[in-house]
Amino acid sequence: MASSSTSLKRREQQPMSREGDQLIVTPLGAGNEVGRSCVYMSFRDKTILFDCGINPAYSGMAALPYFDEIDPSTIDVLLITHFHLDHAASLPYFLEKTTFKGRVFMTHATKAIYKLLLTDYVKVSKVSVEDMLFDEHDINKSMDKIEVIDFHQTVEVNGIKFWCYTAGHVLGAAMFMVDIAGVRILYTGDYSREEDRHLRAAELPQFSPDICIIESTSGVQLHQSRHIREKRFTDVIHSTVAQGGRVLIPAFALGRAQELLLILDEYWANHPDLHNIPIYYASPLAKKCMAVYQTYILSMNDRIRNQFANSNPFVFKHISALNSIDDFRDVGPSVVMASPGGLQSGFSRQLFDIWCSDKRNACIIPGYMVEGTLAKTIINEPKEVTLMNGLTAPLNMQVHYISFSAHADYAQTSTFLKELMPPNIILVHGEANEMMRLKQKLFTEFPDGNTRIMNPKNCESVEMYFNSEKMAKTIGRLAEKTPDVGDSVSGILVKKGFTYQIMAPDDLHVFSQLSTATVTQRITIPFSGAFGVITHRLGKIFESVESSTDEETGLPALKVHERVTVKQESEKHISLQWSSDPISDMVSDSIVALVLNISREVPKIVAEEEVAVKSEEENGKKVEKVIYALLVSLFGDVKLGENGKLVITVDGNVAHLDKESGDVEGEHEGLKERVRVAFHRIQSAVKPIPLSAE
Amino acid sequence: MGTSVQVSPLCGVYNENPLAYLVSIDGFNFLLDCGWNDLFDPSLLEPLSRVASTVDAVLLSHPDTLHLGALPYAMKQLGLSAPVYATEPVHRLGLLTMYDQYLSRKQVSDFDLFTLDDIDSAFQNVIRLTYSQNFHLSGKGEGIVIAPHVAGHMLGGSIWKITKDGEEVVYAVDYNHRKERHLNGTVLQSFVRPAVLITDAYNALYTNQTQSHHRDTEFLDTISKHLEVGGNVLLPVDTAGRVLELLLILEQHWSQRAFCFPIYFLTYVSSSTIDYVKSFLEWMSDSISKSFETSRDNAFLLRHVTLLINKTDLDNAPPGPKVVLASMASLEAGFARDIFVEWANDPRNLVLFTETSQFGTLARMLQAAPPPKFVKVTMSKRVPLAGEELIAYEEEQNRLKREEALRASLVKEDETKASHGPDDNSSEPMVIDTKTTHDVVGSHGPAYKDILIDGFVPPSSSIAPMFPFYDNTADWDEYGEVINPDDYVIKDEDMDRGAMHAGGDVDGRLDEATASLMLDTRPSKVISNELIVTVSCSLVKIDYEGRSDGRSIKSTIAHVSPLKLVLVHATAEATEHLKQHCLNSICPHVYAPKIEETIDVTSDLCAYKVQLSEKLMSNVIFKKLGDSEVAWVDSEVGKTESEKRCLQPMASAAAPHKPVLVGDLKMQDFKQFLASKGVQVEFAGGGALRCGEYVTLRKVGPTGQKGGASGPQQILIEGPLCEDYYKIRDYLYSQFYLL
Repeated sequence: MASSSTSLKRREQQPMSREGDQLIVTPLGAGNEVGRSCVYMSFRDKTILFDCGINPAYSGMAALPYFDEIDPSTIDVLLITHFHLDHAASLPYFLEKTTFKGRVFMTHATKAIYKLLLTDYVKVSKVSVEDMLFDEHDINKSMDKIEVIDFHQTVEVNGIKFWCYTAGHVLGAAMFMVDIAGVRILYTGDYSREEDRHLRAAELPQFSPDICIIESTSGVQLHQSRHIREKRFTDVIHSTVAQGGRVLIPAFALGRAQELLLILDEYWANHPDLHNIPIYYASPLAKKCMAVYQTYILSMNDRIRNQFANSNPFVFKHISALNSIDDFRDVGPSVVMASPGGLQSGFSRQLFDIWCSDKRNACIIPGYMVEGTLAKTIINEPKEVTLMNGLTAPLNMQVHYISFSAHADYAQTSTFLKELMPPNIILVHGEANEMMRLKQKLFTEFPDGNTRIMNPKNCESVEMYFNSEKMAKTIGRLAEKTPDVGDSVSGILVKKGFTYQIMAPDDLHVFSQLSTATVTQRITIPFSGAFGVITHRLGKIFESVESSTDEETGLPALKVHERVTVKQESEKHISLQWSSDPISDMVSDSIVALVLNISREVPKIVAEEEVAVKSEEENGKKVEKVIYALLVSLFGDVKLGENGKLVITVDGNVAHLDKESGDVEGEHEGLKERVRVAFHRIQSAVKPIPLSAE
Repeated sequence: MGTSVQVSPLCGVYNENPLAYLVSIDGFNFLLDCGWNDLFDPSLLEPLSRVASTVDAVLLSHPDTLHLGALPYAMKQLGLSAPVYATEPVHRLGLLTMYDQYLSRKQVSDFDLFTLDDIDSAFQNVIRLTYSQNFHLSGKGEGIVIAPHVAGHMLGGSIWKITKDGEEVVYAVDYNHRKERHLNGTVLQSFVRPAVLITDAYNALYTNQTQSHHRDTEFLDTISKHLEVGGNVLLPVDTAGRVLELLLILEQHWSQRAFCFPIYFLTYVSSSTIDYVKSFLEWMSDSISKSFETSRDNAFLLRHVTLLINKTDLDNAPPGPKVVLASMASLEAGFARDIFVEWANDPRNLVLFTETSQFGTLARMLQAAPPPKFVKVTMSKRVPLAGEELIAYEEEQNRLKREEALRASLVKEDETKASHGPDDNSSEPMVIDTKTTHDVVGSHGPAYKDILIDGFVPPSSSIAPMFPFYDNTADWDEYGEVINPDDYVIKDEDMDRGAMHAGGDVDGRLDEATASLMLDTRPSKVISNELIVTVSCSLVKIDYEGRSDGRSIKSTIAHVSPLKLVLVHATAEATEHLKQHCLNSICPHVYAPKIEETIDVTSDLCAYKVQLSEKLMSNVIFKKLGDSEVAWVDSEVGKTESEKRCLQPMASAAAPHKPVLVGDLKMQDFKQFLASKGVQVEFAGGGALRCGEYVTLRKVGPTGQKGGASGPQQILIEGPLCEDYYKIRDYLYSQFYLL
């Protein structure tokens, strides 16, 4: 019976004691899906949100991650990995329309492009006013709140330390490593371990994280090697234009597009026979962002940096920009890169509608296509397609799918994870099926069972426990002697972030920004009687009253209870001086009361004094009563037991308290501890004030 | 107990010589800066030469000669081979600074202390870090973490934090707490209580009173005044440091006022400098990066400044008043010296100094008060050889070539240069080797080695017994072939092969004139003549040095309040002044070591680590105070399962301790607090605060400095027995935590 209740109690207590060690990761978006990346993480009262994207396939509130699941005001830090819409586009909404008041970080390049991209997004998305999540004004306001972080730069916010690594993928893309109380979490965002024409490959972090939240877009697929796919790409284009055809490359304006333009520009430079065939990129946005690409050369790879030594590689020689379809004169073979990548609408779709029925033409789909878009449909080469005007047309143009996706493929993912060996892997940002396959395959790679692989759905929390030891450094005077087991250590514990220091009060100002203070109080009281009267009365009440004379004035002075100095200032005043602390304050108060009483009603004091003397024994009983009453108010069931012990029963657990020594006996450790502490506190409240502070 | 820290200055103490300090942390030797002056005096480096080979890492703080000038020489001649750590801009701009120094020197002297190759190879070893990047050293330095932080002063300029076992050593020289146009202010103030702070006393005696906008107005007014009367303005500047701030000021002002006077920025590397600076936006001030983020407006897209890389372009510029920013700031070499000599005798002209120049240089002489009326200047010029000299030179070359061929046929694999007797050269002491050792593609790796072998001497093996004639055996014709434009084209193709060395790509960037200078293989010599230059132009100095002044230095140090302080880099008076000041009011351990004097600044701090048991922590109630939390603990030492020390709750009641009031009372803040509570408060004399009618509050005890943490505060509250007294006492208590 007793044991069962104990175990019940334990179970209740466990979450209590372990609450601080619980780490929660909850995807608010991108859990078993691609799009609206947003992962919530909380550990030790610190809360972090990674990414803040939208699902580009939806509009309005439906595109947002599940922000209702969390309280935005509790989030300390929001980290954005890169500028793509599915990672950054709900940021203006989150910053301006919710209670979020934490800090937001992204890299320099991301911030510069973020603004251009979202402004464009707001303009392009033609949705009703109530479906608008934010407007240009919100974007501009959000720019003021976004702080920038450089790669490898360590930033600390409220004890949360974080820094970022190059992630490949797109310009400015970062992987964030977060360190909370020694527990490290790596969030990869979208990453690629393959160096391409302008981006560096994702770095391998110096430290292995405890948790790795990793993207799984490519699932178990393997990419073709870069050289092969570049060759396929240029071959298709070369042969198409050589036969007089036109090449359409629907691509998202930023990211892969720049890589493809670099390839084309270089290919054209090496093939003078192509020089009369124009290449266009039809995206005002890409044109605007070119300045950013031309500036942040230093976050690109060495190849580009070396080219930069001669001329800026993002100043293209064979490629020109097109502002709209009206500027485009379709008079012969050409290569046009146009957005959007999914051929939903816009320039790329307009060209597609014009070109799709000519078999000389070609369309190259260069990357990941979201489900439900026309680009995804034509990969399967249907016989007919529906045009924007609702008519159907035969699909005669050649469709090539050449993935330039800058997402890590299976080989990269598994090597990356094997190098890092994180004990916990959380998969996000991938279609449910792909993710499941990846999870299965990864299980076979880490068969020893020490690695947990999880793929939570949106709003499904993953809980982990990290019992990190709290280490403190004892410094200064307190550490002059290294203590042995059993010695006591008392001092001020200073907690800053997640570091602890123990020091003597006198050292506080040396080792921390804090300082100690002493407050000396001096109060004057009107008193016209003889000083001797005070001396006498005080002697009756206080254990220690020392007489002396003030050196300067020669007037008598008293030191009461070794704390408070009473001095005769003049005929009509006495002064009290002491250094503030609770006991001295109390002593001084009683002296004040006493002095005031002397000057008012002398006889009454005498009467009280007599009472005080004779009630020595009663006092003892009173103390016992008080202790009992206080214990009852704390624990409820308190009975008097054998040998004058008190029996305290709480929830079936029994503790025996010895009133004399303060010893507690009992089965239940927690209860024993509580009774002991309570008893000590009661005792120190009831007992006479100790004379010295030792 | 703690980590052992020794500091030993190698150069730049008790004077304004370049900076180089050796700091040894648990036996790991850091060389903090590796500077040289504009005179390139090898005797300054003697102390460095004795320890160069024992250095384990070099940390550079600013991209100017005083902080990194000796790096190529030390790497080449003194056996310094440690990895170098610097920020990206310090690396790039430092490299350009050294190029500029070299090319300027080469024009006017037989400069042979180091070559362009030496510069390249020295900068190849640089490991580039970003601000606040905690870089964990490995190997011998295991456990040491280094991190550069914003210093202000120059683009990429860093103060370094070296951490081991929680002990922090901070090296902060030439920082600027003020935010400028292109730079953010330093973050030095955010460091609190490091074990050791090594800092300079350079400006300890200097007070900068002028406000920055007054200074700007003065600066621009002075310039425009001279321009309007038809004079020219010369600003002697550094290559890639403070000049950036000046360029921005001028650029901004010119676009506001729509001035049409041309501005020229003239160094051997000016266009590369600005090209690189344009891509360093993330290192600049918040306002610059913000303006780029919002409007893609690159602040260094200079519309009013013309970048020039040789003097001819300036001479060909349309006549009329102009502003010229030219290097070197010391006027010891470079374009600035030539222009100064040309312009000095016209009273309409202005030479505007923006910082106190290095000691013992021409610029410093001109900054003296009153400025000298005449200065004696040795002007040197490189002229092509002609007539007999040329013939003699060619004969010499032919002879050497024959010798070389002979030698090569004898010992094919021996790539060292043909030796030649000292008498070979004695006939033509003025003959210059025209940068033969420098080869643009030389640093691109072994791929080119075969091209270079013939007649070319790799620098690594060219240390010759005969100083300085060690490398003039190169074959001019073939050399010319090596650097033909095609090589550059091939280089592009080769880029895919992998990373190229840092130095290599900069070569490619070198401006055409620079390239032509290097390609200039015509035999030439240096002729010198002494001139007396009449200084009738105006000489003005307006401070744009971008360093914190004496007052700010003191308050910064007081704020940082290191446990131990080491002062370097200042005149004896300044050092002594700051030392006394700090001893009196900041910390008791202030050191100002002499050259090669090793001082031990190991902290005498006792410390040990303990684990805090869960049980103990569950009983601790923290109180929040600023950004830290405090609590009193009474505990007992125990052992964990892993035999570590562990603090557990006391078995018996803890002995009562003396209560401690924790908190920092600022009288000013408290006054406002009381006022908000409806108490009549005012400051009476002597720092006392009168609260209400009767009660006074004052701070007593040693309150020598502001903001310093010299010890516990002492606060005295006095008054007669009345209700007010207790009320105010309660308010006072509310400012503290009682532990």
